[in-house]
Amino acid sequence: MAENSDTKRPGDEEDDDEEEIDDANYKTAKDAILFAVDISESMLQRPPPSDDKKADRDSPATAALKCAYQLMQQRIISHPNDMMGILLFGTEKADLKEGSTIGDQGFPHCYLLEDLDVPSAQDVKQLRDLVEDEEQAAEILTPAKEPVGLSTVLFCANQIFTTKAPNFSSRRLFLVTDNDNPAQSKIDKDTTITRARDLYDLGVIIELFPISRPGHGFDRSKFFDDLIYPTSPSDPDALALTSSTTKISGSGDGISLLQSLLSSINSKATPRRALFSIPFEIAPGLQIGVKGFLLIKRQEHVKSCYVWVGGEKPQIVQGSTSHLADDTARVVEKTELRKAYKFGGEAVTFSEEEFKQIRQCFGDPIIRIIGFKPMSSLPIWANTNKATFIYPSEADYIGSTRVFSALQQKLISSKKMGVAWFIPRRNAAPTIAAIIPGEEKYGDDGEQVMPPGLWLVPLPFADDLRQCPEQTILKSTDELTDIMSKVIHQLQLPKGVYDPSRYPNPDLQWFYRILQAMALEEELPDHPEDKTIPKYRQIDKRAGQYIEEFGAAFKEEMTILRSSNRGDIIRGPLKKRGADSEDAPAVHGKLAKRVKTEGKSQGDGDDLAEMNRKGTLSKTTVAVLKDWLSERGQSTSGKKADLIERVQEYLDSKGM
Amino acid sequence: MAGKEATVYIVDLGRSMSEKRHGRRQTNLEWSMEYVWDKITSTVSTGRKTTLVGVVGFRTNDTNVGEFVDDSEGYENISILTPLKQFLLPDIRALQNDLKPSKTDNGDVTSALVIAIQMISEATSNKSGKPLKYDRRIIMVTDGFGPIHDDDLDGIASKIKDDEIELTLLGVDFDDEEYGFKEEDKAPEKAENERILKQLVDDCGGNFGTLAEAVEQTALPRVKEVRPTPNYKGTLTLGNPADYDATLTIDVERYPCTMIAKPPTASRFVVRTDLAGALVETQSTATVVGDDHDEGGQLAAVRNQRVYKVENPDEPGAMMNVEPEDLEKGYEYGRTAVHISESDSNVVKLETEQGLEIIGFVHAEKTERYLPMSRTNYIIAQKTNSEAKLALSSLIHALYETECHAIARLVAKEGKPPCILLLTPFIELDTEALIDVELPFAEDMRRYKFPSLDKKLTVSGKVITEHRDIPNEGLMKAMSDYVDAMDLSTFGKDEDGNSMEYMQLEETYSPLLHRINHIIRWRATHDTYTSLPEPPAVLMEYSVPPADLIDEVSKQLITLKQTADVKRVPPKQKGRGKRNRDHDKPLSGLDVDALLGKTKRVKIDPQNLVPSFKQALSATDELEGIQAAADEMGAQIRSLITTSFGESNYGRATEAIRVMREELIELEEPEIFNTIIKDLKKQILGEDLGGERREMWLKIRDNRIGLIDNKRSMMSDVQLEEAEEFYRAS
Repeated sequence: MAENSDTKRPGDEEDDDEEEIDDANYKTAKDAILFAVDISESMLQRPPPSDDKKADRDSPATAALKCAYQLMQQRIISHPNDMMGILLFGTEKADLKEGSTIGDQGFPHCYLLEDLDVPSAQDVKQLRDLVEDEEQAAEILTPAKEPVGLSTVLFCANQIFTTKAPNFSSRRLFLVTDNDNPAQSKIDKDTTITRARDLYDLGVIIELFPISRPGHGFDRSKFFDDLIYPTSPSDPDALALTSSTTKISGSGDGISLLQSLLSSINSKATPRRALFSIPFEIAPGLQIGVKGFLLIKRQEHVKSCYVWVGGEKPQIVQGSTSHLADDTARVVEKTELRKAYKFGGEAVTFSEEEFKQIRQCFGDPIIRIIGFKPMSSLPIWANTNKATFIYPSEADYIGSTRVFSALQQKLISSKKMGVAWFIPRRNAAPTIAAIIPGEEKYGDDGEQVMPPGLWLVPLPFADDLRQCPEQTILKSTDELTDIMSKVIHQLQLPKGVYDPSRYPNPDLQWFYRILQAMALEEELPDHPEDKTIPKYRQIDKRAGQYIEEFGAAFKEEMTILRSSNRGDIIRGPLKKRGADSEDAPAVHGKLAKRVKTEGKSQGDGDDLAEMNRKGTLSKTTVAVLKDWLSERGQSTSGKKADLIERVQEYLDSKGM
Repeated sequence: MAGKEATVYIVDLGRSMSEKRHGRRQTNLEWSMEYVWDKITSTVSTGRKTTLVGVVGFRTNDTNVGEFVDDSEGYENISILTPLKQFLLPDIRALQNDLKPSKTDNGDVTSALVIAIQMISEATSNKSGKPLKYDRRIIMVTDGFGPIHDDDLDGIASKIKDDEIELTLLGVDFDDEEYGFKEEDKAPEKAENERILKQLVDDCGGNFGTLAEAVEQTALPRVKEVRPTPNYKGTLTLGNPADYDATLTIDVERYPCTMIAKPPTASRFVVRTDLAGALVETQSTATVVGDDHDEGGQLAAVRNQRVYKVENPDEPGAMMNVEPEDLEKGYEYGRTAVHISESDSNVVKLETEQGLEIIGFVHAEKTERYLPMSRTNYIIAQKTNSEAKLALSSLIHALYETECHAIARLVAKEGKPPCILLLTPFIELDTEALIDVELPFAEDMRRYKFPSLDKKLTVSGKVITEHRDIPNEGLMKAMSDYVDAMDLSTFGKDEDGNSMEYMQLEETYSPLLHRINHIIRWRATHDTYTSLPEPPAVLMEYSVPPADLIDEVSKQLITLKQTADVKRVPPKQKGRGKRNRDHDKPLSGLDVDALLGKTKRVKIDPQNLVPSFKQALSATDELEGIQAAADEMGAQIRSLITTSFGESNYGRATEAIRVMREELIELEEPEIFNTIIKDLKKQILGEDLGGERREMWLKIRDNRIGLIDNKRSMMSDVQLEEAEEFYRAS
């Protein structure tokens, strides 16, 4: 019997690693977002024209649609299985798309611009056209003459979610409006509150993105606080964060409406899903509750899939795997499968129960602090994987937040870290993790850019440490170090920090640009934008002088070293090297400015000579020996012993 | 890659090996074998064909020295138990049967040595008798009783030396000054033997030790050494040498610094059916071995076969199988399939050239320690290149002195996607390197927001610093004292008793890796058992804080617990759970239930199914009310299925069932749900709901929204097995 599977990857391998599977589940918990944008006179009003380049040109409604457009493109990359839709309300026109099963009662002034679904290339195109083509936009974006009640919109959203995304684990309504009191009457208000309650019972979260008009702030308490529920009823304290109100800026006071709305929406773009929720034992007998989040994770592009081209329209195929016994090619039921380890040419089997016991003998999932060490005990070389963010939760232990906060503040002020025994999930391998504090950080506009909390940095075990290959060192001189330090000072990144947001993944961006162009059947772009390529001109301008200085000092130092009798330095074919280092830079006209140590072919053999003296030549790899010999026109055939012999003969003949 | 090895174990099987000495619960032989099995099984687990193992017993009942000596005179009571070969599981089993203490004291240890030397020499020479490159070892365990012919010890010692064999001798209760063991009341005969053997081992430069130490060391996990292999060989550049003059180019190589050692993975097997008949017949003889251990040879590997389906264009809603020939590669862009023909497959790939280029420099202390997201590597200068060495050293030292790190872009091979690396200086006695680790791109950062931990914002925007979620001074002080008291940086002790860092990386062993290795090897030497052994203590050592330290800080701990005042949320109260709970309220705290009209019965609205069902439940306190709401919900679900065009309503029906199931579990009325779902199953499979609805049943099965068992809800009288059985369609 075949089991269904969602994976479409060709040649998909069965993965036995429990951890990976969990990771995947975490990602595939599906999310559906319905944008509801208020189309009223004030939402369509453009800011007064201004000469300032930074001033707003968009009306709040257009800004909202632009945000939706950006978000849609982003989500295709980051959440390819998630749904999105756009509902305009307050429009003159009403349209809920054909074939819709959404009731017969009709929803006046609700215009479903994009049905709730995984976006298609056409959806992206349609939305882009609307954002870019004002005439077309004007046709749809005409406000109704009568005021429109919010209750209809909420019920409309209810129906859309019920029919289009019935069993999505996360469903959210993004409501963009500048009207903080849309109710016409007491009855209208009560109906709206009831409809909001329906959405809550349905499991739909309303995210409000309020926009304040000039001279009129947006007061949530007037109306919206009756509609919006704390997002996590079991953990009311975990999220008291509401999006900040976006203001329509006057001319040129920095951040534009669009940017501000974008940042506000971006922070809600991915539903916050906990990776785990486990006890955190700070001390024996003192446990609190924490949730773990992956705030840093490598974003990959979608895996390729198989497309069936036998029909008129290409179709994505669904693959399923069945198991066959290797000896008889008989189809095997999953229950017949036994897991076994290969050992000594045979299989060592354990029962299912024993397998569980083997993996779970380390105890229940927990983060247990073993003790504390100074932060300096956590060198960068000890990194093994990405860090996990943890944040307190009051769901199981009341008082978790204050204890967590006390620990976090103490670790920050004393520059200390915790060391913990960490089992994230049942069946997961235990690890030792360093617990380091993360300070809350704000951007220039006062928005949080880094949340406050603790980070679990997994540490390597003795088994995971690799030795650095043996090497002979040629230590830098004070002069060289000093000049190089000047180069370093000249080439500091802005503020001396690495800011990930400045470096989009060029491979990922290129992939989706091409894919989008192909999906929309447009011309392919020819130049990738790659912000990770160093700014060569700036490097030359700012540090060129010092690099030249370094080159000169370096050359001098090498000459001294070579003429000295230091055993560890080249006494190799001086002549050849001299010729090389003069030839290569000559192409560019200037000598001495390049510390060019060309490829292997110029390797001196100084090390081999040295190793021969020390009698450690046999430690060299065959590859190195062969390279060395071939550079000197010697034969590279034979076994390692032969090669070594030949190297020795050569060195002898040269008197080395 | 390790070199070739040949190891012969010489095991004393004399009568005295069956004794239990010095209050041990094991016989001398069992104790010795603890060490030998550990060594042999770890060899077996490497699965290397070039690692040969042989076993010779002496003081055995029989004599079996094969063709190694022409005349077995002088070699009585010596047996070759396993010739030198790659040791496999059947060899282990055979050996286990052979390793029984004998009824004799006779058998000369030095003669056994001669046999072992012969075995090694034979197995490690080529046809013309020239020795091949092998690591040769003899490991001998004995309790030191029995006669020793000491007439040709010099000859043996020099032979061992000439053949470059490493001899290790481990004695049961042998004196060992270094380890600090001396046996009291040692039999004079044994003392003399110990002296002779020690002399022999010293003469050939071998190792002589007491067994206790060796057994003790088996408890320490062995770390597998891996030979460094470079994952990048190329240049480290600053600037663009093609367009500018002032640039820096250094030839470098990159080697792993940390690499997670993975535990062995289990593979899938299936019991071979063609042998099933044979199994019955041989069962009587197989009972000696006992259980499924013997199935080793009767398991067949499992192959995966993939089948591809698409929706049939001529028959919407139905699927059809398609042939792999008709498939081409493509990608999904949203829900649009973009098909890319084989010849175009490179179009989505970013063209890159190999290289490691410095982008710029950052302050070391401003680099957040939680950003690095990968394992680490060493970057060192090309091995035979002095200029590269000097230049890289300048960079390393300059980074070190300026307290800066470099940010670089790495393309490990032509065409590979670039990644951003953090380069940090690493300077130790004989090592200078850059350590690199990957940093996130913009897309890798998830911008979730979390409330501040040291202050609260009210709805009106006011900042509060006193709140039950914010620690007061007392708690801050208690936490600070506890953290300082629990410092591990000087808690450890080195060999001389000086304080040092406790729990250094080198002292921690991967628990799962060694646990699985341990249990496989244990299982290979234990045919019958009642329960699996616990993990070795060394793997659990760092799972709890050191007890001594906890004793020391008891005062700080008590204060911390008191000031923290953490209370566990009690598990849900028994009885009528949800019916008495506080209903969820919006931010304003408005009582929406009052608005909905709590008294009147809420009608289930098919257009608003889930919410109205929930509201109906919360409006009633009576069993009849719940029953009525559930019945009506059931009716609506049936109607959804009946009116479904193809599978169009299945999602909604599934969600409705799921909600009903959860709500009724919460209300502790599993019976109401179980009755409805049983009927529903009957109706679906009986094709009473608008024809063939098997896919709907599969949805119920796959989402596991069938019977509520008594593990899920205490009030249910459905057993787990019954609930499982329910999912099997019939």
